[in-house]
Amino acid sequence: MSLYDLPNSTVSPDTILLEVFAVAPWLSPLLLFFVFFVVFLGGSVRQKARTGTADYSLWALLGSISIFLIALFMTIRSGILSLDNLIIVLSITILSSVWFFLDRKASEL
Amino acid sequence: MGQIKFIISLIMISLFTIAMITFGINMANDNDSFYSIDDDPELNALYSGVKTNTSAFITASDSSYSSILNSTISPDSGTAQSTAPFALTPLSVLGVMKGILLVAYTKIFGSGNGFSIFLTTFIGVLIFMMGLYLYKTLRGQPD
Repeated sequence: MSLYDLPNSTVSPDTILLEVFAVAPWLSPLLLFFVFFVVFLGGSVRQKARTGTADYSLWALLGSISIFLIALFMTIRSGILSLDNLIIVLSITILSSVWFFLDRKASEL
Repeated sequence: MGQIKFIISLIMISLFTIAMITFGINMANDNDSFYSIDDDPELNALYSGVKTNTSAFITASDSSYSSILNSTISPDSGTAQSTAPFALTPLSVLGVMKGILLVAYTKIFGSGNGFSIFLTTFIGVLIFMMGLYLYKTLRGQPD
């Protein structure tokens, strides 16, 4: 028994991508999760290594804006990202902005 | 975090929320997306609620700025009694700023009114900041 049916690549190249998302619907949230943490951890760890302190709220906001933009592109076709996941990504972005703007010191905004 | 920073942070959160939701809805409309943020009723309610609450801010900041300009404090506190030294900063100065911002805004984003509340509220933030800075300077309480 095969674990996974090979996609039909004779129609168009993007059919492969769409069939992969159809077989594994959790793949798109996982991809966004991965991008978020690449930006968040990568940025904050590098900033901490360079300057000694890290602006975690800034990197969380940048990470969530990144996944929001990717998520918007994923909604152009059906079957890649569900509306629920798009709303969750937008909610994370708004929550990150709350953290970011309330985390500012008196000397900055 | 001082008073000015705190209130501006809250306004910025609301403006950011408006910008993100508007951007998502407009992108879905332009690209004929399968899903749109517009399809979610709770996000729609949040969007209109935040717009309404934010637009109330500019009215409040206008009136509070006027009341600050008309305020006086007792002379025995060792500071200026009224805001007369600041009378050179009328609201028309902000009109210049609004004109500059409007030109830059329309050249970049076009003449659509999707983000118009952004400019209006930003002017309200400027008015609010000017008023509170004047008041804190008058009272000798810098933020």
